[in-house]
Amino acid sequence: MTQIPLKEIMPHEEFLESGHLACPGCGASLSMRMVLKALGEKTVVALPACCWSIIAGPYPQSSLKLPLYHSAFETGASVASGIKAALLARGDTETTVVAWAGDGGTFDIGLQALSGAAERNEDILYVCYDNEAYMNTGIQRSSATPLGAWTTTTPGAHPEARPKKDILAILAAHRIPYAASATPAYPEDLLAKVRKAKATKGTRFLHLLAPCPPGWKTADDETIELARMAVRARIFPLLEIENGETWRITVDSPGDPIGPYLAKQGRFRHLKNEDIGAIQAQVDSRWKALQRRVAGS
Amino acid sequence: MAESKAILDIAHGVPPVSVSQTSTRVNKTGSWKYIRPLYRDRVAPCNQGCPVGIDIEGYMNLLREGRVDEARDLVLRENPMPATTGRVCYHPCESSCNRASFDQPVAIHSVERMLGDMALGKPAAPALEKRAESVGVIGSGPAGLACAYHLARLGYSVTVYEAESEPGGVLRWGIPEYRLPKAILASEIGRIRDLGVTFRTNTHVGRDVTLAERGMHDAVFAATGVHQSRELGIPGESLTGVWRGLDLLRAVNAGERPQLGKRVVVIGGGNTAMDCARTALRLGAEVTVLYRRSRNEMPANHEEVEAALHEGARFSFLTMPVEVTGDPREADIDPLRAIEDTFGQFDRSSEDPRVSAVLCARMELGEPDASGRRAPRRVEHSEFRIACDTIVTALGEEADTDYLPAELHGGAIRVTALGETSRTALFAGGDLLEEPHTVAFALGSGKRAAIGIDHYLRMKAGEAGADVELGELKLGPDGNLSMTRWRADDPVARVNPVNEVVRVTDLNLSQFGHARRAEDVLRPAWETRHDFLEANLGLPREDAMAEARRCFNCAVCNGCEVCLIFCPDVSISRRDDGKFDIAYDYCKGCGLCAAECPRGAITMTREGL
Ligand SMILES: Cc1cc2nc3c(=O)[nH]c(=O)nc-3n(C[C@H](O)[C@H](O)[C@H](O)COP(=O)(O)OP(=O)(O)OC[C@H]3O[C@@H](n4cnc5c(N)ncnc54)[C@H](O)[C@@H]3O)c2cc1C
Ligand SMILES: Cc1ncc(C[n+]2csc(CCOP(=O)(O)OP(=O)(O)O)c2C)c(N)n1
Ligand code: SF4
Ligand code: SF4
Ligand code: SF4
Ligand SMILES: [Mg+2]
Repeated sequence: MTQIPLKEIMPHEEFLESGHLACPGCGASLSMRMVLKALGEKTVVALPACCWSIIAGPYPQSSLKLPLYHSAFETGASVASGIKAALLARGDTETTVVAWAGDGGTFDIGLQALSGAAERNEDILYVCYDNEAYMNTGIQRSSATPLGAWTTTTPGAHPEARPKKDILAILAAHRIPYAASATPAYPEDLLAKVRKAKATKGTRFLHLLAPCPPGWKTADDETIELARMAVRARIFPLLEIENGETWRITVDSPGDPIGPYLAKQGRFRHLKNEDIGAIQAQVDSRWKALQRRVAGS
Repeated sequence: MAESKAILDIAHGVPPVSVSQTSTRVNKTGSWKYIRPLYRDRVAPCNQGCPVGIDIEGYMNLLREGRVDEARDLVLRENPMPATTGRVCYHPCESSCNRASFDQPVAIHSVERMLGDMALGKPAAPALEKRAESVGVIGSGPAGLACAYHLARLGYSVTVYEAESEPGGVLRWGIPEYRLPKAILASEIGRIRDLGVTFRTNTHVGRDVTLAERGMHDAVFAATGVHQSRELGIPGESLTGVWRGLDLLRAVNAGERPQLGKRVVVIGGGNTAMDCARTALRLGAEVTVLYRRSRNEMPANHEEVEAALHEGARFSFLTMPVEVTGDPREADIDPLRAIEDTFGQFDRSSEDPRVSAVLCARMELGEPDASGRRAPRRVEHSEFRIACDTIVTALGEEADTDYLPAELHGGAIRVTALGETSRTALFAGGDLLEEPHTVAFALGSGKRAAIGIDHYLRMKAGEAGADVELGELKLGPDGNLSMTRWRADDPVARVNPVNEVVRVTDLNLSQFGHARRAEDVLRPAWETRHDFLEANLGLPREDAMAEARRCFNCAVCNGCEVCLIFCPDVSISRRDDGKFDIAYDYCKGCGLCAAECPRGAITMTREGL
């Protein structure tokens, strides 16, 4: 297999500034950096409350070289839809409007607005960077928190008891033109999906896995490796769904055992072997279900 | 901005909604860190594993960049004969290649062979300035050739004394044509000659000239190799039809085609034995190799054994010859007596019966001996006979060092880390030393002694101090000396180099894709066993270039930009010279760059140290 060197596929232009306020090794800031490289200059970002509200910098600073609108926690999709309508009213058909929200702002409180926008097929690109908890307010669980994880609201004695919500399936059920999962650990795949989303009209949804060192209790330099392991272990398969119907896996997940992935993270430290076995069984059954959907489409 | 003025709240001079006016670059978030990344090139394990001391990683990277001529010149800095080593070196570099833990080692020898072949007919860079001193080199095997080459490139006048009619040592008279075409060897020796080295062939030091005549030289390098074949030490050894392996190879390398008869027995399990077996096959014989231990203990290179097997040699393991028996010619004895009755007694003592068989005993393997191999023991009453027309012995060789001062006689010669013997100005290398007897070690020892001689002569001339920083000349803590480092003219721009070898655990293998190793093109055995043409054809150019791209380029930044791409703080930028800057004002010390660097070229260091 001859690989194209990453440096030949990664655009050089930067839209993220240094001096932003993300923690060292933050997966969310790296996600923004890569996504914007693929979107280019004609982009506007709508941002509900989340870690990124901080990363963007306090007034009067901004860490983006593009327009970014701060907005309320539950309104990511609505604000983006509104900006798009305003741009169209001004005759701008080119600019991509992005809603950039955390998992809390997407899976939980923002879901109603997102579902409404998707149902109307608003011409926006909704990106959820998923760090699997409410990190900005100090690691509370969200419906994206994976089974077995510690958070401050699911302490070690009572860890997260429900499986992670299948957000892509929910979005697919809205029959939007494009929905996909990606992570900065696979830049080629991520760039391709962002470009495809940019070129598509209607509601597009990207689910990005963005490891969070303080929230996951992991080393700062493991962000990429963890995302890679999640993909390889089929915890976070990389796929894309067109019109809610055509499901396709874009990067092979060889099915590494999940044990080493969990073992690297302090938030799973309390797990016993049987817990890990149960999580593995769940990953396996979800993978089988995904295989069926892929085969059936 | 005109636009932002337009939305100013007239009454207060501020916008009615908050609009950012500065970037976050005002925050020097670099102050958060307690560790910082540092670009720090280290040493690839192949470089340390090569006994010649070649910057393998360096030429692989130049080839990746398509800078083929520079790659060739980089090899020629350390190795005078890459076309030769690319063919006959047992490539210990590949055993230390990090890629082995990923899929298969890089076929370094094949890439080196391609570079060596491209270099044929191309001169080596000559010395920049001539020096007054002259050096004598005794023996023109790989050790002597390497020493002469490097000394000439350092500006010295060099004379090589060689007992044989042509230079090359084992390369010329031992290794068969089908493994190393003599035209290629001649071409590589020609490159050394073109540097101004004088070859005095047919000159045996000790017989034709003496070491005392080295008064003509300011230093001498002795590399006369090992040529005295060990004897079998069993009855019948001197019968006609018993060949010493080296004699057979030398005869064939001189263009003779001796008649060996139909059945040839080769005794020994080393490389010489394999060469003899494959040569005998080509002379039309059926060959049986006797070895007293099992296949696992054979000292011969694995690839050579495979080749001999494919060409049809038979192996009888756990077999020890105990007696060579001659043709009794019993049927002829009566007519002979009748003739003697008429013409008088023949001088029977000079009668020279030809070999007819070898009597062997079966062996079994006992406890491991000093070498760690299981020692063979003879099995009682297990004798059996193998009929044969010729026996070739290949039991190893010893040195003849009579020409050297008496204190250096007997056993391997001991030298300093710069190749000097206990005699000042007398250096030694190659098979005379207690190092693996291989072409690569010989070439490496010649280079080491060239550095030693250069240092010695410069010290004598008052141009250098007595101390040499050996640690800094070695490629990695255990590697050979680097001529490039000695000359301090590395064409590869390195960043904060440290002499530390990068292990596979220091690499980020996720950044690489699997790719099959390219295997040399071998002519079919049914064809090669009938001729002396080269049996291994190496790799086609494109395949060798692709093989070079399989190299991870361990330890040395090759500008892949993976670090830059994965920095969440946009703190790494590429300079015009291809190197990288880290904006420490903003780098938070997360270490992702170092963790993701495929080749371990970034080290995290404690802040403030
Ligand atoms: C048959 C055979 C096959 C081999 N195959 C391989 C192989 O495939 N790969 C590998 O790595 N190694 C191989 N080896 C080992 C390798 O060839 C030797 O380790 C290497 O050649 C040693 O180099 P040298 O310079 O020390 O000595 P040599 O190559 O032995 O050269 C010594 C030279 O000194 C000359 N000489 C000796 N005495 C005097 C004197 N008094 N005056 C002047 N000249 C003198 C000799 O004529 C000879 O030319 C093989 C060895 C043999 C015998
Ligand atoms: C209506 C409302 N409730 C609560 C908050 C407080 N709040 C701000 S960010 C945040 C968590 C966001 O979590 P997530 O969307 O996962 O993003 P993250 O911080 O993890 O990046 C919360 C609860 C708010 N801003 N608005
Ligand atoms: S991968 Fe390349 S640099 Fe690394 S050890 Fe192998 S040949 Fe040397
Ligand atoms: S990735 Fe960036 S922020 Fe992290 S250590 Fe390297 S240079 Fe610093
Ligand atoms: S990641 Fe690539 S560019 Fe960066 S230090 Fe390593 S080799 Fe050099
Ligand atoms: Mg979150």
